Amino acid sequence: MSHRVATHHPEPILIRVDGAEVTALPGEMLASALLAADQPVFRADLEGQARGMFCNMGTCGECFVTVEAPGRPARRLRACLVPVELGMVVRRG
Amino acid sequence: MFDLAIIGGGPAGQAAAEIACAAGLGVVMLDEQPRMGGQILRQPPATLGVRDWLPGATYDDLKAQLHRSEALDGLDWRGGVSVLGLFRDADGFQLLATGRDGRLTIAARRVLVAAGCYDMPTAFPGWTLPGVMSAGGVQAFLKSQQIVPGKRFVLAGTHPLQLLVADQLRKAGADVAGVHFAQGLGAMVGQLLRDPLLPLGNLRPFRDAAAAFVNLRRAGVAVRFGQRLVRAIGSERLEAAEFADGTRIACDVLATCYGFLPQADLPRQAGCAMQRCERTGGLAAVIDRWQRSSVQGLSAAGETTGVAGAEVALREGRLAAIGILLADGLLSESEAERRAAPIRRELAKLQRFADLLARIADPRTAIAGLADDATILCRCEDVTRGALIRAIRATAGPEDASALKLVSRAGMGVCQGRSCEHAVRALLAEQGAAPGGGFTARFPARPVAIADLID
Repeated sequence: MSHRVATHHPEPILIRVDGAEVTALPGEMLASALLAADQPVFRADLEGQARGMFCNMGTCGECFVTVEAPGRPARRLRACLVPVELGMVVRRG
Repeated sequence: MFDLAIIGGGPAGQAAAEIACAAGLGVVMLDEQPRMGGQILRQPPATLGVRDWLPGATYDDLKAQLHRSEALDGLDWRGGVSVLGLFRDADGFQLLATGRDGRLTIAARRVLVAAGCYDMPTAFPGWTLPGVMSAGGVQAFLKSQQIVPGKRFVLAGTHPLQLLVADQLRKAGADVAGVHFAQGLGAMVGQLLRDPLLPLGNLRPFRDAAAAFVNLRRAGVAVRFGQRLVRAIGSERLEAAEFADGTRIACDVLATCYGFLPQADLPRQAGCAMQRCERTGGLAAVIDRWQRSSVQGLSAAGETTGVAGAEVALREGRLAAIGILLADGLLSESEAERRAAPIRRELAKLQRFADLLARIADPRTAIAGLADDATILCRCEDVTRGALIRAIRATAGPEDASALKLVSRAGMGVCQGRSCEHAVRALLAEQGAAPGGGFTARFPARPVAIADLID
């Protein structure tokens, strides 16, 4: 289970991940919000095996998720590079 | 049209920007991260309060450069932008990039690629389980997100950076179950003693690693040598790390630390001459004494030219900018040489330490034979070592990595081969085939939605 260590932070917001509400801090990356919510599985591979975060620097592509944010079209994005926003809807897999 | 486009907001790019802006050039800097800093100073979002962010002398010089570069008036900073391709034209270069708001095109007379490096992905049974991460990735969660990304951590590899990551995790309240060097302590000390005139006490990376080692020992964290990681165990997520002597350590994060590969997609795509990094198998841009690549107008600095650390990157960035001013006729030959001389002297000294660190951290023995035939080498396309060997051995088998890519799909996925290329080339060599120059670098260097490319 991950934990946050910032000394102070803005009011948490709620985002929706595969239908469930997940608490996130404005400005943090989507990958961080998922790990902080104890959700380390981001997708399944061709054999159905679970995959999660690997490089956390935009290089490996393991953290691709589908992101819908208000006013923007749905996009497949690397969760390690997407700051969370109010109203964000995320689908893994 | 910008005079200079700098790709990468780490120390090399920051240092180059400062000199180029001071000379009056119009400079744009692009980086995938929202804030300047690079991986070494990857900044937390402005919304988070952080007490005593990255303390210590190691970070102080780098922070000073960052603060100066962030304050540059003439610098057009574009964060959250991924450069997909570099195209040469009559006036210089067109950069095609994407950000959260879609595509952007940037024209610049000259380009400096200072794209940094990434952790060498190391394949072993179980390495695709959620919870197995690169040490740099784990450290980035802590540095830039203020998150301890798990509960119980095991670190394993050959690179001394893992001591620093473990100590930072411990200070942030993580349970660090142990740090494991595959090589013996004697081998590491032996490398140090081979060059007894090196004043190690003066060199920050060694001093920092030693301090972290002492801190970890005092805190009761085991630092073990000659402990080779062989397997990650778990079903839906990581449960334990297994070592060659049969020891199993329960953990939910296994951070691997075997060294770093240059981020070199863009110079490769642009056709720059590249050279192979001897110990890690990465490809680095070949540069001249002014950091100029073999492609006219394209310079490279920092880890893109070979992994040697932030202090070297910072100075290479300065040298690159001086070289650009020289090429633009803004500095005379003698003035450029005069400004470069002290930088070159520092670089020569730092490079000697970087070489020593690379010898100490040499991953080759530790990773040889780690993957078995069922181990996935290409994480994107799920291609196993066994499948690659079958493809190599097939009639008139592939003679190089690009040919093997076409028949196996290894390297065809969203990472463009960054995760598997070095392993594929090592496997080709092991099987007696010619590894050639690696996969042919293709546009786009980063994944992009098709909708962002069409009008």
